[in-house]
Amino acid sequence: MNVRKIVFCYRKIIDAQKVGWERMLHEDTFKEFKLQFQLFNTEKKYTRFSELLNADTRAEKLHFLVSAAARGYILQLRGKVPDIKNKLGRTFLSFSNFQFEIIESGVDDIRQHVVAVSFCTDPLIWYSTIGDDLLLTESMEEPLMIQQLQLQPFLSIYSIQNIQV
Amino acid sequence: MERKSFLKNGIAALGAGFIAPLVMGCRKEDTVAEEEVTGGTATCEVAPTETEGPFPTKNPSAYERSDIREDRAGYLMTVTITVGKVSNSCSPLEGAIVDIWHCDAEGNYSEYGGMQMQSSNYTNVHFLRGRQVTDANGQVTFTTIFPGWYQGRSTHIHVHIYNASGTSLKVTQIAFPEGEGSAVLAVNGYGKGLSGYTYNSRDNIFSDDKNGVQLASVTGNITNGFDLAIQLNVA
Repeated sequence: MNVRKIVFCYRKIIDAQKVGWERMLHEDTFKEFKLQFQLFNTEKKYTRFSELLNADTRAEKLHFLVSAAARGYILQLRGKVPDIKNKLGRTFLSFSNFQFEIIESGVDDIRQHVVAVSFCTDPLIWYSTIGDDLLLTESMEEPLMIQQLQLQPFLSIYSIQNIQV
Repeated sequence: MERKSFLKNGIAALGAGFIAPLVMGCRKEDTVAEEEVTGGTATCEVAPTETEGPFPTKNPSAYERSDIREDRAGYLMTVTITVGKVSNSCSPLEGAIVDIWHCDAEGNYSEYGGMQMQSSNYTNVHFLRGRQVTDANGQVTFTTIFPGWYQGRSTHIHVHIYNASGTSLKVTQIAFPEGEGSAVLAVNGYGKGLSGYTYNSRDNIFSDDKNGVQLASVTGNITNGFDLAIQLNVA
């Protein structure tokens, strides 16, 4: 039987408006950004991430260097993609890979600090579609255990693979 | 009565065990409200009643640790850096933040670039990078492995020193002694040998260090491990 394996990517934007653990991640990554920014801003000419990146492409490394401050929070999610819920209102997607990025930041003002964490899900079988909902399952063993998922902003299909099971 | 205070008051009689999930429920509503502002994932729906989680708790930067090896194999090395203040006769500087990073036995750094996803084993992505704060003796200590070497550079460790409030004081590198009886010779590039090795005298960074200010003292052997010590002074 042919089935389609689907991988989703959820890009979670975290800015100064957030609360709870997202706020902690925001504050900690801002603190780390201010430290690491100085590694490339040796002449103290810049205050914003985009300015520095424009002047010195090595500043791309800041995505990785600052991600250390986010890592502890991501690990605590225990492989469960946050926010994205099935039709019953429960989170169910699992992830193994994530990517942290700095969208923009400025050392003078935490409100300029906006980051994103992208979660790539583990593959699921895309069984069918009803209306706006994708019917997803982990296994083709019957009865099929279905997760019903609606595509939504910041959730995108990352890859599709046709395979034989 | 506002909804939040109604909830808090209402659960008081239920016992402490019920408080946490309900308070989290309130937070969840706050989160949804914020997401709408920033174009997040919120839709017009009733908040689910189950406790959604896990909710991560406060967590320090992955750099804040003494043992920076993670999954990297190699000869054990203890790095002791003493930070001195030149304006105070090089006396120990307490409370300075010290970052170090170096390559693994193969000569690779932990890093990624561009839009590449992190490796699936994301517990190990920041290997051989760490941060400590100097004690009353101006010292920090790291447990790591002896670095490998790569084309164009002699063996080295990167160091970034900040004052207690996080202002950069010095970005520098630590060099290793070479020649007869040296650790560099004993480790021999982890079996790769030293053919094509860049010695300190020809290294772009260290060749102008005529007084050996960046040169560490390294003792020990491949069986018991190595001890590296250096004093680095800041203005």
